[in-house]
Amino acid sequence: MSDLDRAIAQLRACRLIPESQVRELCYKARELLIEEGNVVCVDAPVTICGDIHGQFHDLMELFRVGGDVPDTNYLFMGDFVDRGFYSLESFLLLLCLKVRYPDRITLIRGNHESRQITTVYGFYDECIRKYGSANVWRYCCEVFDYLALGALVLGASSGLEPTGPALETTSSTMSLDDSELETEVLNSRGEVTMSTYRPKQPRTTSPLLPSLSQAQPATSSSANPTSSSMPPMRSGWAGTGATSDSSGSYSTGTGAVLCVHGGLSPLIDSVDKIRLIDRKQEVPHEGAMCDLLWSDPDEIDGWGLSPRGAGFLFGGDIVKHFNYKNDLSLIARAHQLVMEGYKEMFDGGIVTVWSAPNYCYRCGNVASILELGEDASNGGTVSRSNGDYNRSNGGAAAAAAVVRSPGRRYRVFEAAAQDTRGMPAKKPVADYFLTQHPYNTHNTPPPTASHRKPMHFCLGPSLA
Amino acid sequence: MNPLGNKLFGEVDTTAMPPLPLRPKSMAINGFTITTQKLPILKAEPIEKMTKDLGVAPPEMIFGDNFVEIEHEGTPWKITFNAFDALDRVDKSGESMLQVAYSKQWQRSREKTHEGIKDIVKPFDWSYSTDYTGTLGPGSRPFEATTRRIPTDLLKRPDPIMFYDDVILYEDELADNGIAMFSCKIRVMPARLLLLARFFLRLDNVLLRLRDTRVYIDFTTGEVIREYQSRECDYETVRQALACTRDDVPAAMRDPTRLSDFLPVIETRLERTVLKSNDQSESEIESIPLSGPS
Repeated sequence: MSDLDRAIAQLRACRLIPESQVRELCYKARELLIEEGNVVCVDAPVTICGDIHGQFHDLMELFRVGGDVPDTNYLFMGDFVDRGFYSLESFLLLLCLKVRYPDRITLIRGNHESRQITTVYGFYDECIRKYGSANVWRYCCEVFDYLALGALVLGASSGLEPTGPALETTSSTMSLDDSELETEVLNSRGEVTMSTYRPKQPRTTSPLLPSLSQAQPATSSSANPTSSSMPPMRSGWAGTGATSDSSGSYSTGTGAVLCVHGGLSPLIDSVDKIRLIDRKQEVPHEGAMCDLLWSDPDEIDGWGLSPRGAGFLFGGDIVKHFNYKNDLSLIARAHQLVMEGYKEMFDGGIVTVWSAPNYCYRCGNVASILELGEDASNGGTVSRSNGDYNRSNGGAAAAAAVVRSPGRRYRVFEAAAQDTRGMPAKKPVADYFLTQHPYNTHNTPPPTASHRKPMHFCLGPSLA
Repeated sequence: MNPLGNKLFGEVDTTAMPPLPLRPKSMAINGFTITTQKLPILKAEPIEKMTKDLGVAPPEMIFGDNFVEIEHEGTPWKITFNAFDALDRVDKSGESMLQVAYSKQWQRSREKTHEGIKDIVKPFDWSYSTDYTGTLGPGSRPFEATTRRIPTDLLKRPDPIMFYDDVILYEDELADNGIAMFSCKIRVMPARLLLLARFFLRLDNVLLRLRDTRVYIDFTTGEVIREYQSRECDYETVRQALACTRDDVPAAMRDPTRLSDFLPVIETRLERTVLKSNDQSESEIESIPLSGPS
């Protein structure tokens, strides 16, 4: 058993590794991450995860539900640390897994992977508390600076292979010959709680696609809008400005999926522009890099300023245009808490994935992960001409593949059971008052609040 | 028309609820009923409805089903604390809008590159500051201004706690610029109860704000005293004051009770009402001695 495997085993048990090992781990991780582009290319199948926020036991639950590394290929969209009680254990485990299985786990940066934010929201304090100095925090922050800003998932299938068993409430999981499973929602026991279908992509790929007019997508808010209108005359591969397509004609291919922590930026109109950012720095307060980690989609037209006075909001038209221009079928992002664990917006053009159940140990929300299947229609080979790869000319005849959204499987899960946490449950009521009650000598209540601070929650000094 | 129709879509099964108590907690004591309910944050659909009804986007963590309620059995008197009514008192015009610390720097850097983007989307007081002091039920005997204060001495006695709860109504992380939170705590003793409804705002590097509403009820006399107190101070002043103490500054900056010592009072309102039970005569109520603060 290598040191790394031992460290993984130890961290899985929620036990920290020595500071010297953390330093070595962070060094190795930096060496690895520096080789990655700002936008990492990831082949489907992949499981996309949102915010973790130091909820270690819920991260273990995520692995139980989604499968373990390296069996499952994971993509985490940032915000590993802060707010939860186990930011260190969570982040160090993910980092160990990254170093051990670099091709099976992708980590991109969230707005909490920053020096400034971690000093305010818990990670810095946790490092001091658990290691006695800021060294480990510094090592981790250096790693943060090297994390990629986004990822591009290629080769995802448009239809899902149905899973079972279905719950009895599920009215239909049948797969008709001319339809494919577009979205499926599973609970943590693997039971299907919802599924939506849409018509299959016709196999012909003539530029006008006449058959499409008879095969409107199934009525669904999440149906891909591009398949119901005239298909765009597209020739480049997803996420690139390339003008040719090496993919030829196939039926279950989809556009690429851009994964980013926050959202879009008015400074970024193409995926290639993300590649030009100098990312190896603290997250700045403004600019494209800041926007990618901070912005939010909203039900507005165009771009808007957040009422807070900093930060952008972007509307459905921005998403549609960006996806069209970059040959994307979907943007997956995290950053915002959603009670249901995921939220699709703008006709399925963007999805928020949230992976911290019972956020902050009090919100009572469920979490989810998003699985994108592999397109096997080309014999399992992913054809691509992404910016990092070749851009061969597939010829104009192969030009008309419609950008379909990928089949999306959401696995919804709840917070890990209290007894697996190994942390004290909330103090019972009576206990709270017994231990907190400051006035055991009730004959001598403090005349003023000046030095004897009333510890009782309800009594501000003004009352005394 | 789509040949496949809608029937292909499976029924939506709401994903299993987290293991939290679903039924309201309740207790009857000396003619009063105290009820609290704690549920998870709202789902997308109720959030949409609330957004429409409020006219502004609710906070990120919105516990729209939570409430604390005190009901008097003898009269129709009832006071409730719930998220919607608290948020309904948030300024929706944008007139009292705060800006995050780095807003000016951010906007300056944007002036050249994005002249087209000038509109602030739906301006409103996104700090969710509210002066909510509770919702009185219909027909409730109204409060009247008073100088009578909450009898602190009686609350300091180590009486047994019959009922206690701590209920969050809403919370927002202000896009990682601080914290805004409204919570209610209630403590019931054999002869009296005390409720604290607290709005706490920390806007990092800008401001700290505390708005406390305390409701005191004496079961024997039926006297209800409500005290509203607003405290506020700029961030740096408090931080420096804390730095002079032996406190852990970051921890103190998260603790409204600790911070309250450092925040000067901006406004205080005292109100009082007396609830008469059916078996209690008018004269008995009038005879409760009134004593102002000495």
